[in-house]
Amino acid sequence: MPPELDQQSSLEPASTPHQPGRLDEEPTASDTIRQVASEVLEAMFFTEAELAACEHAWLDPARCAGIRFGGSHFGEMLLGVSAEAADPIAASFLGLDPMELTDAQRGQVIQELTNILCGAILSKLWPESKLALSSPELSPWQEWPDAGALHHCFVIPEGKLGISIRLTAG
Amino acid sequence: MAYSVLIVDDSPVMRSFIRRVLNMSGFEVGECTEAGNGIEALAQLSAHRVDVILTDINMPGMNGEELLRRLSADGTLKTTPAVVISTDATNERIVRMIELGAKGYMAKPFTPETLRDELERVLGDRDAARA
Repeated sequence: MPPELDQQSSLEPASTPHQPGRLDEEPTASDTIRQVASEVLEAMFFTEAELAACEHAWLDPARCAGIRFGGSHFGEMLLGVSAEAADPIAASFLGLDPMELTDAQRGQVIQELTNILCGAILSKLWPESKLALSSPELSPWQEWPDAGALHHCFVIPEGKLGISIRLTAG
Repeated sequence: MAYSVLIVDDSPVMRSFIRRVLNMSGFEVGECTEAGNGIEALAQLSAHRVDVILTDINMPGMNGEELLRRLSADGTLKTTPAVVISTDATNERIVRMIELGAKGYMAKPFTPETLRDELERVLGDRDAARA
């Protein structure tokens, strides 16, 4: 698990309220998300991710997790993995047959993927920053209509994957 | 020579993944044990030394920072190299963990090959220091 957001007093919001920036205005953010997703899926889940058009009907029954981050930047990230891809991804991560997976393992792998993606994206975007992540939590997918959020969908051989990330007020 | 490894992480699936990747990497793994936090790790190490420790940072009970402090302060254990494995690849975090005594740092994502290379480097440094 990552350095814990809730346990690090040094990373609490400053007394002056933090104004959220817009990730869609970060010149490298979109490329970073694409690059990190590809690297993480290939290195640790032994599969390939390619950018795909967003057609979000698949996200309703998807397995999803959310994570918050703090430190030099505050915000949150959502990950959705299509229902048909969740078991193969977990099995690949653990080196198990999909039939051997427990429900706990299925959830924990989605949480771990969320954690790894978020930490890697933020570290690559802001390598000189302070970073603290909350524990990832399984949750339903949410659409974020607000401006400033970044979202990408990916196709993987096993199904689909969606990532949304946005900055929030500290 | 096969090396004994202690994996310290509160996530059971991450411990399983690290164990799997160690076996895939070509690194010569002997006994491989696991602990869920720093307290469990120190309890295991008091009874049984290992060649290298792979540790997460944030864990309930005793986190990776405190584990590194305890290892560095222990006359017997301070020569056992610890490698941090974390999602946090910010420069400040890496410098902090090295200052606390980590001999290596692996940022996720990592491949079996990069893990093997880091372990061989760390254990090579340890052996050179002992010679």
